[in-house]
Amino acid sequence: MSAPMEIVLSADSGGQLWNCAVLELHSGTNLLAYRGGNTSSRSLTVLNGEYILGAQLGKNFINVWEIQRKDQLQQKIVCPGIVTCLTASPNGLYLVAGIAEAIYLWEVSSGNLLAILSRHYQDLTCLRFTDDSSHFISGGKDNLALVWSLASVVQLDPSHTPEPRHVLSRHSLPITDIHCGLMGPQARVATASLDQTVKLWELSSGEMLLSVLFDVGIMSVTLDPCEYYLFCGGSDGGIFQVSLCSQSLSRDKTFQSDNEGNQVFKGHRNLVTCLSVSMDGTLLLSGSHDETIRLWDIQSKQSIRSINHKGPVTNALIIPAPANMFLPDSRPGIPLPRFSRHLNPSEHGEGVETGGVCLRLAPHTQAQRETYLEKADKLYSIMSAVTDKSVFGDGENTKVRVSELEEEVRTLKKVNKDLYDFSTQLLTKPI
Amino acid sequence: MTKCKKKKRQDDFQKVKLKVGKTKPKAGNATNINFRTKGINLTEQLKKDANAPTTHRKLNIKDLLSQLHHYSGTVKQGALVGLRELLTLHPSELDQHLSSLLSEAAAVFTDKDPNVRMSATRLLRFIAQSVPAERTSPFFPLLSAHLSCAMTHIETGIQEDALKVLDVLLDHYPALLAARPALLLTNFLELISHRSTGGGARKGQEGKGRSWALSVNPNRNVTGQQWRLTVLFRLGRFLQAVVEERRGEEGVACVSGDMFSVLNGQGGANAPLELNWEELTYGKGGFQVFEHSGAMPTPHSTFKLRPETEPGAGVSEGLGTGEAVRGFASTLVPLLLDVWVEASASDRSKTDSAHLLTPDAMSLMYQVLSILQLLRKLAPQREHQDTLDAWFRSEYLGDFKQHFMKNFPYGNLDTPKQRRKTDPKRSKQAPTIPGQTVEPLALNVLLCQVMVSMVTLSQGEGPAQEPDAEWLMPLRGFVQETMSSGAKLSQRHLHTLLETVWRMVTTQRSRAVTEDLLQAVYVQYQQMNLNLQTRTLLLSFYSRLYLQEHNHTHIARSRVLSRWLAALPLQLSQLGHRNPALSDRLLLSIQAAASRGNKALLNSLRTHACKLYDPQEGSVVLLPAESQQRLVQLLYFLPVMSQGLLANLSRCCTAGRVSAGLAASLIRIIHLRSSLSGWSVGSQDATLRDVDYISFLFSTLTGFSSDELATLQEAGDESVLPPSPLSPLSLYPTPLEQFTHHWDVVEEVCHCLETLGSRSQCFDVLQNGICKNLMGLAVVPDSMAAGLLRAVARLLDLSFLPSEPLLRFLSRCCLSLLSLLLTLQQDTASENNHKREAVWGACVAALSSVPRLLRLVLQSLQVRDLCEEELPQLAQILSLLLQHTALCNQMLANATLLQRIIQDLTRYCRGESKEQWMTDLLYCYSVTMATHHGNLGLRDIY
Repeated sequence: MSAPMEIVLSADSGGQLWNCAVLELHSGTNLLAYRGGNTSSRSLTVLNGEYILGAQLGKNFINVWEIQRKDQLQQKIVCPGIVTCLTASPNGLYLVAGIAEAIYLWEVSSGNLLAILSRHYQDLTCLRFTDDSSHFISGGKDNLALVWSLASVVQLDPSHTPEPRHVLSRHSLPITDIHCGLMGPQARVATASLDQTVKLWELSSGEMLLSVLFDVGIMSVTLDPCEYYLFCGGSDGGIFQVSLCSQSLSRDKTFQSDNEGNQVFKGHRNLVTCLSVSMDGTLLLSGSHDETIRLWDIQSKQSIRSINHKGPVTNALIIPAPANMFLPDSRPGIPLPRFSRHLNPSEHGEGVETGGVCLRLAPHTQAQRETYLEKADKLYSIMSAVTDKSVFGDGENTKVRVSELEEEVRTLKKVNKDLYDFSTQLLTKPI
Repeated sequence: MTKCKKKKRQDDFQKVKLKVGKTKPKAGNATNINFRTKGINLTEQLKKDANAPTTHRKLNIKDLLSQLHHYSGTVKQGALVGLRELLTLHPSELDQHLSSLLSEAAAVFTDKDPNVRMSATRLLRFIAQSVPAERTSPFFPLLSAHLSCAMTHIETGIQEDALKVLDVLLDHYPALLAARPALLLTNFLELISHRSTGGGARKGQEGKGRSWALSVNPNRNVTGQQWRLTVLFRLGRFLQAVVEERRGEEGVACVSGDMFSVLNGQGGANAPLELNWEELTYGKGGFQVFEHSGAMPTPHSTFKLRPETEPGAGVSEGLGTGEAVRGFASTLVPLLLDVWVEASASDRSKTDSAHLLTPDAMSLMYQVLSILQLLRKLAPQREHQDTLDAWFRSEYLGDFKQHFMKNFPYGNLDTPKQRRKTDPKRSKQAPTIPGQTVEPLALNVLLCQVMVSMVTLSQGEGPAQEPDAEWLMPLRGFVQETMSSGAKLSQRHLHTLLETVWRMVTTQRSRAVTEDLLQAVYVQYQQMNLNLQTRTLLLSFYSRLYLQEHNHTHIARSRVLSRWLAALPLQLSQLGHRNPALSDRLLLSIQAAASRGNKALLNSLRTHACKLYDPQEGSVVLLPAESQQRLVQLLYFLPVMSQGLLANLSRCCTAGRVSAGLAASLIRIIHLRSSLSGWSVGSQDATLRDVDYISFLFSTLTGFSSDELATLQEAGDESVLPPSPLSPLSLYPTPLEQFTHHWDVVEEVCHCLETLGSRSQCFDVLQNGICKNLMGLAVVPDSMAAGLLRAVARLLDLSFLPSEPLLRFLSRCCLSLLSLLLTLQQDTASENNHKREAVWGACVAALSSVPRLLRLVLQSLQVRDLCEEELPQLAQILSLLLQHTALCNQMLANATLLQRIIQDLTRYCRGESKEQWMTDLLYCYSVTMATHHGNLGLRDIY
């Protein structure tokens, strides 16, 4: 059997046996099932093709599997609160999670928590990256969708609170789903909301292009890769297809009235919570609260396959099959570090702004190198600590300080070894 | 050489020799008289041209125009007056000769005779009044050329009159004038100053590189100050025109001037498509979302590679770019300062207190300040404005502080009478300017605005902010005092003051200051009897402020703001239906705050919710549909829904004052908020108890409150169909509108009930509800009966056995509805079609999904009890049921019952008239039986 090109990744909130299942797209055969826990909605994501991450339903941690090891969790990332949505950037460098009303941004290579963005007023519902990982969009229950530029968020200047590039504030009820199209910062973004509308925005200008009002609240939205169609999953179980460009200048309008109502995919009996379109734009995947996943042929709008789940479906997405998934002996290219729970721990300790920027050139240069500015700062602080101590002679304070410094220094790598020797000499001599 | 000359001369003056006896040669200039004359008789001189109308002096337009070239001033003036007369009498002439008229009239702007100039101005005003701007635009370059020629004329009289011409143009064609501001601006400068020639003056100045200096022309018949005032007044108006022109170009989005008028200023250039799903499906074909099929980004993209325009230099570039504006400002502002300094110095001599100003000085200062304010607004884009403000601050803050702020709250010096006595002639001659009397309040308010605009955003609070605080103190004091004094302010002043407050609040990041200022505004807000505009202005000020709170913690924590928010729901409920526009405003603010989960607002909303959603006089039924929708959406954010509120909401849904679609979305929103819906992300405590939710659904399903049902039971026979053996319950026919509304609501409720979870439990709850509340009714509204049948059919699970009393009640309902159906069918009006279909559908669905129900219905049909008229009805019901394919099998299951009924029927019916329905019934019966037997037969074969 040749390796499948595209797979379906799905998770439900009630299953006991497994957390998320991998299905072959065209045949519907069950390929894999990852065990442990349940994943909350819009929080299942594949990181860099090597890890699968899913936020635990109702708990404050994220389950992480290595993609080839389905039986065992690689780690649990403990978070400060219940994770409501989660996504990884397509280039695999960043991880974004919505925790209550704040957005947490981690750097994958180091595990550092880079930013906590609290611009939303209520819980987040959805996070999406653009395909070039330059921007991400967050939607919340406060009716707002915010467009963030990753570059402006990831900055070392703590005094400057990052502002979203655009605030999309035309919805009047909570946003339920966001889809970001292709073409990076020139993409178009579709947002669905309980106010029964789906709105299409232009990412570059933040302007609304289109708003479609439906009869029911819309729980999920997606665009096909060509952006010909907009698919909207309603709260009554219908999936509505909106054609975004009139493909044929058909003059026979009478003919069109025959296939009226033909633009609805009917089959689900409850909220359609997730939608996804295959790469070639012919198949539509939908997951619903009626505990089924359905696969539809877009052209004929028929349900091809229906797969039963054990609970309301929380995640269902079509992704290109990661290379490692079916090779049990493979290893991920980078080991996943421990994710920190606090913002910039080293900087909190010092409280002084360093002017350096950490550059990570490639995945294999994992060793945590400090910039020369940081090194110089550290050296300076050690020296000044010595002089402080010798001048003031404050016994306890200096001891605490020394131990702190020693700890820091111990963490330095081989490169700092001579520095370490030198400083310990300096530190121990006056005592 | 001399010889040659001589020879020539001789040739010229040849001597003619006269000889006696010969005829005298004719002189060269002799007249040839060999001609004859004839008289030509003109019967009429200056025959009146039929097509050319004339003035009372019998001059047509060509004559008049040609007279304008006459050397005599009187003739020219006469011609101008004549033109005006002609044009008033014959407006059609204006259209034909506009180009020549304008060019000739403009040519005499620079005439030496003041009377001619005055008449020319009058003529121009007349023309301008009757010709729209777009028709003048081709001739406008000519006009403005003549105008600037007049403005720069060496004679002062012509200069002064040029300003009057400018007034006319500003009145009627501000946009045209503002389109090319560059030349006029230099002209203005030249009117009050002169460009210092060479570098001498420049070196003399304190190195500031000024190339313009104020000038005084002693020849004028007004004082230098008054002259400057008139010039500045025009300059101000002109700049205003430029600013407005620009605003028109760019749309409202990026202009900060209208900060309070547009609440959600998102109106970009390309309006988004708003579509409706219904239209989309059934309406006309496709639509195009992406221009250029998405290949090119729209020009509003925020990604920019470099500034669109290269930095230009100086005034000559016009005011298109930020740099150009800055260049112009750097010329103008020192001049303005000089003007004011001179004026204040001369004013100081007349008064002892520096706070008091003469009216002249006051209006001069007003003009100076308004020009400064306009200069700020000239910046083409928002970001330019910020840099411009910063530049103003760096350049002129010191000057402004020294000259304007020193004696800040200015008052009026009340001594104009004395001055007039001393110099009556001059004051009479002084040009009267409309805006000359300036009240001190306006001046002070404007000064506040100008000064506050200089405050830049402080990066970090600290000593850097201190110097600002020192001069801002009196300003703040003034603003607070003015606002909180409780006096009514005019719309314009209030707007300016609010902008000032806005600026102060956003720049001064101190909580105490914010609190004081907002409190002052709140005093204004709380005034009674404000007119709509003022009220809206204040409202949008607060709501904008609230929307901005995210990056200003001091605003977010403001107690005044939260008090304002908390008062909103009460205001909304008190407002009722009196002012829908204002209610809409209020709702917008409430919605914004609710979506942000503002505690104060939500609490107040909770307390006033019952009043707002009252089915009789709550806002939700009184306001127009759009506001109703907002109110319904607001429900989502309510932290707790009490029982009373839910009862009210249920009544709202069923009473029909809210459209069916909106009622459906209301039910859906409540469904989402209940814990049973299953849609919730993250932690969320349920806002309503499940019991309450289900009872809400049930009462919405019934569609009538218990009181209404009770009154129906006691209602007389005239409104109610009486009970009969064929319809055991007496039905109350609801009006068609209410029926369809209720039907739509029922569909939604059923959908909610279906998705609740376990169906059998859900049905159990429904059964209990029906048994407890509805079983005893003798009079049942038909919509309710149909709704119940519909719900039962949709919800019943095969595994669940409904209780006997319920089935009995339902069978009665069903039978009554079927007989109602027959009466409805007699009435062939098409509007009843929907109702008929709904009733029939409900009955069939219930009968086919619950076999026991059909049996009960058939059992209750006792032919013996029927009178003769009812027999055909019964037969019709039966044949209807028999004809329906879905019911066919079930009818067969009850074949014995059927047979008995039909036998009874044939026994009881006599006479020929009834043959028709009888044969129909028998035919249906036999067909059904036959197919059944056929099926059986087929089955036997296989």
